[in-house]
Amino acid sequence: MLVFFMVIIALFPLAIGPSQAVLAPLGVPIIWISALLSILAGFDRLFSQDVRDGWLDQIALSPLGLGWYALAKAVSHWLTAGLPLLIMAPLMAAMLNVPTAQYPALITALFLGSMALTLLGIIGAALAEGARRSGTLLALLVLPLAVPVLIFGALASGANDRIVTPHLMLLGAVFTVLLALAPLVAASALEIGETETGL
Amino acid sequence: MQVIERIPSSKTPPPGGEPVSLRIHKLCVFRGTTLVLNRLCHQQGAGELCCVVGANGAGKSTLLRTLAGRLHPAEGTITCLPPKLYVGHADGLSPTLTGRENLKFWGQVFGLASNTHLLDTALSHFDAAGFADMPVRLLSRGQRRRLALSRLLLGPAKALWLLDEPNAGLDQASRDQLDSAVISHIATGGMVLAATHLPLAATALQSRLMLGGGQM
Repeated sequence: MLVFFMVIIALFPLAIGPSQAVLAPLGVPIIWISALLSILAGFDRLFSQDVRDGWLDQIALSPLGLGWYALAKAVSHWLTAGLPLLIMAPLMAAMLNVPTAQYPALITALFLGSMALTLLGIIGAALAEGARRSGTLLALLVLPLAVPVLIFGALASGANDRIVTPHLMLLGAVFTVLLALAPLVAASALEIGETETGL
Repeated sequence: MQVIERIPSSKTPPPGGEPVSLRIHKLCVFRGTTLVLNRLCHQQGAGELCCVVGANGAGKSTLLRTLAGRLHPAEGTITCLPPKLYVGHADGLSPTLTGRENLKFWGQVFGLASNTHLLDTALSHFDAAGFADMPVRLLSRGQRRRLALSRLLLGPAKALWLLDEPNAGLDQASRDQLDSAVISHIATGGMVLAATHLPLAATALQSRLMLGGGQM
């Protein structure tokens, strides 16, 4: 998904044109939109293989339970999708001529935002599991919930020479709530999916 | 719709003597909008093997999944005293891990005994030690089945085994190994409830649960 991230970012200057006056204020929003789309792109059929293998059944029947399993999936997805993105972000910011004073705020906000988006993603993937148009359903479910993350994140990234702003604190609050609730919601969604359709 | 047929065996328990470890009372289970199990009643005691038979779609998998806890009944009660081990239609194995790693993982997650010696014993019962160190995605259907069944041998002695077509896709030697595992499990006080089209441990079979009216 890192490639997806870089490609989207590269497409914006091509479409907008080389004018610095137009491109300069758009640097941070472009990075945020690309981050959102590339993180969410990897969630389609996140649980499908495990459902098919019978792995999910055994986890659900075990003392471990689906909640920890969902959290583990979120952590592993963030390590493969969110972390590389975070590492590449300074390079992408340089490419878009984002002022270097904003880098610390941008990275911190992306750190919290990428984790929040990953947690939203597992909720969407669990709800869309087994559905026929799961990709579309996933996008419809998650994008409205991702909007606050996008707004707070983009605003928090614009701070010059500061990291902690009220916007960042709101972003952190969203992340904390998701960290507590998303695994439980995802576990419930996977259970309901089983009882409605089943295998 | 459901008929329980008791097969007379040489070890018929004394009347009223055996405690009932599994009792299903008027179980109703929906699959989507179809009522698949309709007021099903069944009971089973320790040391008993019961085979669930019926046409395709009669509800055998539904019954086993409900007993395992993956489906919730609309009505009725299930009382089950011993711990349950479920081997479903799918094997429950991760394709990227090896067979041995899969068994070790499930042993740790379920709190089963899973030291190397016990793993080796379980694997060798089904002659699976030879391919237990290859990633599961490289194995054939029958080999994966044998790994999934080896997991049962790690479990406690008095557990209830819920098996969904355990001998499908197995060669004759593996089916014999499964039969002997089932027979020794019930000899030590365990219970087995298996949905199967092929005969399973026919010499030790004590009851058959026939499900009818499948309309899936």
